[in-house]
Amino acid sequence: MENNSNEILVIDSLKIGYASKSLLSPLSASANSGEMVAILGRNGIGKSTLLRTIQGLQPSLGGNVLIDGKNISIFSGIQLARKIGYISTEIVKVSHMTIYDLVALGRFPYTNWIGRIDYDTHKIIHDSIEKTGLKGLEDRYISELSDGERQRAMIARILAQDTDILIMDEPTAFLDIASKYEIVNLMRGLTSEGKTIIFSTHDFNIAINQADKIWLIHGSDLTEGAPEDLILTDAFNHLFDSEIVGFNPEDGSFAFHNKYRGQIFIEGKGIKRHWTEKALERIGFLPAVTKTIPFVQVPAGKNDKWILCEKESSSAFGSLYDLTRKLVMVDKVLT
Amino acid sequence: MKPEKHIPADIKIRSSKKTVLIFFILALLLLLFFVLDIFLGSVSFKPAEVIKALINNTGAGVDTIILKFRLPKAITAIFVGIALSISGLQMQTIFRNPMAGPYVLGVSSGASLGVAIVILGYSSSIAPVNLMTLGNWILVVSAWIGAGTVMILIMFISSRVKDIMVILIIGIMLASGISAIVSIMQYFSNETMLKAYVIWTMGSLGNISSGQLKVLIISVSAGMLLSIISIKMLNALLLGENYATSIGLNVRLSRVLIFSCTSILAGSVTAFCGPIGFIGIAVPHISRNIFRTSDHKVLVPGTILTGGAVMVLSDIISQLPGSGSVLPVNSVTSLIGIPVVIWVILRNKRNSGLF
Repeated sequence: MENNSNEILVIDSLKIGYASKSLLSPLSASANSGEMVAILGRNGIGKSTLLRTIQGLQPSLGGNVLIDGKNISIFSGIQLARKIGYISTEIVKVSHMTIYDLVALGRFPYTNWIGRIDYDTHKIIHDSIEKTGLKGLEDRYISELSDGERQRAMIARILAQDTDILIMDEPTAFLDIASKYEIVNLMRGLTSEGKTIIFSTHDFNIAINQADKIWLIHGSDLTEGAPEDLILTDAFNHLFDSEIVGFNPEDGSFAFHNKYRGQIFIEGKGIKRHWTEKALERIGFLPAVTKTIPFVQVPAGKNDKWILCEKESSSAFGSLYDLTRKLVMVDKVLT
Repeated sequence: MKPEKHIPADIKIRSSKKTVLIFFILALLLLLFFVLDIFLGSVSFKPAEVIKALINNTGAGVDTIILKFRLPKAITAIFVGIALSISGLQMQTIFRNPMAGPYVLGVSSGASLGVAIVILGYSSSIAPVNLMTLGNWILVVSAWIGAGTVMILIMFISSRVKDIMVILIIGIMLASGISAIVSIMQYFSNETMLKAYVIWTMGSLGNISSGQLKVLIISVSAGMLLSIISIKMLNALLLGENYATSIGLNVRLSRVLIFSCTSILAGSVTAFCGPIGFIGIAVPHISRNIFRTSDHKVLVPGTILTGGAVMVLSDIISQLPGSGSVLPVNSVTSLIGIPVVIWVILRNKRNSGLF
């Protein structure tokens, strides 16, 4: 029997959906304290509905959600708000609301009848703003923030809410690459402080590389496990059953099915070999184990070039772009 | 006292000093307008005469005008301004719609319908002479019910339609539909009832009886109390229903409380002064821009002061001091309110759906 004393959130045969029309079979999964759990699944499969049901925004159609072993149905609104914080994809648009005001609302479950901010409350708000890297921007209006800053402010708000569990629906949607990684890094930092984060995402890379656990919703079932476990059990293979895209279990990514042109031998090593392989794969050549004619020599030194050795001649290329253009031509000649 | 209380990061202390100053200035303005409203009017008096009348009622003509007419009118103006402005603020927050207000969304019309049903429908057995004593409370409660019904209707529509402008248009349609119903009721009622109703619709700040003023003051004070209780809920509702629930707000309960409060405030004013336009929609925007905050701990008292001041100012302007003639107060409030509303629409176009 595994040790499950650390399980902070358990969903047990949970039926989700609207008006007794459940699309998914009863779902069961769990999350341990301090874990980052990514929910993956196609659009419209019920990721948001699952998160809303855990948050108590939507009644379940059966089954249980347990926090610290206690069923959330016995929690009052305020009690639940002290356990779980929630960020959806809905953007808060309020004029004249500062970051400070927004974060202060995270203290809602703790303040008195009028929402008075005493010194201790102020300190918590201040710390939450500092932790999300927004120090100095307290008086900025949320309507003037960039997408990344706004998402930080929303995270500061649920930090002020002081909950063990943070639920985030697509926290990196709308963000540019830099902000995306900043937010994920921030989330990682929070889990190392003991927060449990359950988030849905479409970013497969982030899920595979950053999550401790994945709840994969596919068909009508939920499969859970470490990203690597799911790769090894072929769980992702049929996630996007399609003629265009296929899952590559070697590096855990989805790739286009390219037109296969043949095999080609690549001589060389290091990072330049890695990206040469990638480039040739992209145009349809898989690396061969034995020497082929023609074959490619990867540049060894800084000033060397890519050499394409053919039967009698060989030509040098200054960039992979030039090499790939040439190989496409060669292929045309051969076929 | 903890020494950390003086850390420079304590930004809240800095901004609250400014807020207190604005409150002080607004209170001063309200007082100034109130005094001016008593001193100025279609008949000019020397300041000394006015003061004498206020201190010592001798029953002379001056004293009657001041005590029986100008003073109650100025007090009415303050309470009407407060009531309409808070109801506008609450509606804007709860519907998350910068264009919401008791007049534009038809809540005032709903209140008129309530009153019309009482006067034109139920009072058929009562002589028109008795109408004034029919019970101001019956009148005011029917206005609350009428206003509340429209509030629930708009809530129902906003849960389906998210577009602010569509809701605004539906609100205008609702208001027109209700006036059509009232017209039909007028068509079918007898002469005495009709006369009683027409007299009521001409209601303004001026011809409110002392009994009605008492009912108005009690109702608006109750509404103010409810609005102070609703401050924390309004702040949470700024985030929208989902986030408000996620931070622990009982959304249904707060809606019941806030709807009752809005209906009492907007309904009471309409019951005794008729529909007064554009104060409810414009004043909340004015106070948001004066205080530069979305926090209802500041906005509710701020709107109370601003609303009172703007309404008393409108009353001063409507008397055209020194000219001898009087304008309908409704046209003054429209002229003050409409530019604010247009400005909000234009700004809203830029910021896409901000309120």
